[in-house]
Amino acid sequence: MTLAAAKDKDQDQATPAGSSRPNTVRPRTYGLADRPTLAISLAALAVLLVVWELVTRFGLVQSLFLPTPGEVWTQFVAVSTDGYAGATLSEHIGASLLRIFTAAVIASSTAIPIGLAMGLNRWAKGLADPIIEFYWPLPPLAYLPLMIIWLGIGESSKITLLTLAMFAPICLSAQAGVRGLPVERINAALSLGGTRWQVLRTVILPGALPEILTGVRIAIGVGWSTLVAAELIAATRGIGFMIMSAAQFLATDVVFVGIGVIAVFAFTFSLGLQLLERWLVPWKGPQ
Amino acid sequence: MLQVRQASVFFEQGGGRIVQALKRVSLDLPTGGIVMALGASGCGKSTLLNAIAGFLPLSEGVILLDGMPVERPGADRGVVFQKDALLPWRSAADNVALGLEYAGMPRRERRERAEALLRLVHLEGFADARPNELSGGMRQRVGLARALATDPKVLLMDEPFGALDSQTREHMQDLLVEVWAKTAKQVFFITHSIEEALMLGTTILVMLPRPGRIVAHWELDFVQRIAAGEKAEAVRREKRFGALHDEIRTLIHAGEQVGSVQ
Repeated sequence: MTLAAAKDKDQDQATPAGSSRPNTVRPRTYGLADRPTLAISLAALAVLLVVWELVTRFGLVQSLFLPTPGEVWTQFVAVSTDGYAGATLSEHIGASLLRIFTAAVIASSTAIPIGLAMGLNRWAKGLADPIIEFYWPLPPLAYLPLMIIWLGIGESSKITLLTLAMFAPICLSAQAGVRGLPVERINAALSLGGTRWQVLRTVILPGALPEILTGVRIAIGVGWSTLVAAELIAATRGIGFMIMSAAQFLATDVVFVGIGVIAVFAFTFSLGLQLLERWLVPWKGPQ
Repeated sequence: MLQVRQASVFFEQGGGRIVQALKRVSLDLPTGGIVMALGASGCGKSTLLNAIAGFLPLSEGVILLDGMPVERPGADRGVVFQKDALLPWRSAADNVALGLEYAGMPRRERRERAEALLRLVHLEGFADARPNELSGGMRQRVGLARALATDPKVLLMDEPFGALDSQTREHMQDLLVEVWAKTAKQVFFITHSIEEALMLGTTILVMLPRPGRIVAHWELDFVQRIAAGEKAEAVRREKRFGALHDEIRTLIHAGEQVGSVQ
């Protein structure tokens, strides 16, 4: 008994320097169980880079199809300073970011209320369901021509395309967030005298927030993947436009620069939203 | 005074089968008493509580609170749930203050009242803790404080200690007696533990299933004596306590046997 108690104490406290650290264990589980994967990921990336370098250096693949990492980096610097297709890299990035942000704001501010309403109200669900279920599996490229015919080739057709692509995941997740709420919480709020509006504001909306944030994260990802399609429409700026334009001149290294930039931004956005999630919904941890 | 008159509830189950969950139940909840509804699962005790809380409409009959029919949930009937229905993003104090917020009480006043209620349930010092930082018993105490915050006429408790370990459960029972003695609330409490019913009830209702109905009731004084200072252990060892325990158990078992044959 005393021995076991002493061991517990050791594990509670930080082990002082110099003393031997006890051999901590964790239960055997299936799956990952929160074990860190960062080092493995970094190693995999490094291996990929080395393979890329070797394949290109020994001329296994022509530089036209696969430029060396060095060439891509040189091109990145060149595009950043001198620009490509009439605009610098930061101007291309700025144009794309503005479109994605605008679309994300419009999509969130419409999809969240509509999704909540669909989770709560028979009429809202009945009215909106067929429309959303009909359009959201469609690839954005399929209704892109319609956007051009209806809205022209300016910014509005691009932003509408992105907004439509982002709307569905946010709307569906808000709806799922409402449905997943335990009925006891709603009943508790009602029996404390809450009105419908008070219960919506204090119980339903915060309760659905984790799901909504997940939906926004997915939507931003969808936004990036729709971006290239959106910028096919007579754009003169934008990362997607830059890639398409470079492809026509077989400037493979610029294509790689564009892909790299999108990857970095998409990753940063996803990470940022995860941090936002942790900040906004800190209770969503182990209970 | 809460009165239930000839309350019946029918549910439709899959395939159109109709089940009677409550059959012409009538009861009066006297002011200041603790009424324990006791029975096995399926006896309608939760249905009865949900109807009184206003979560469930009656098929037939009426529920009156001070002469006014009960139709919807309201702040005059506080509910403590079996699973903690606390809001995980709010601190203990903010959870307790939820009903006061709904009633439009200013923030400062709300906070003071919430802290007083947390003291009442012995959670001083945990005002700013989130529910996931509290143990199961502590969460139920927050739930009790929250239900008391709006000063309801009736406190409805839906097997509130059912998910707790036996040690914590006994502490919670002592706490409830203490709070009841201080606030003189009228309590309607459902449980499947005969011992809990005997320890806490001024009245015990025994309910049997298929259809859910009240088959017997007893008026007791154990809880008044414990509240007046007698040791709970001594009361539990009394002959009458044991005799009642056996009598009720026999009644419930017999009722279950009949039910399972049908």
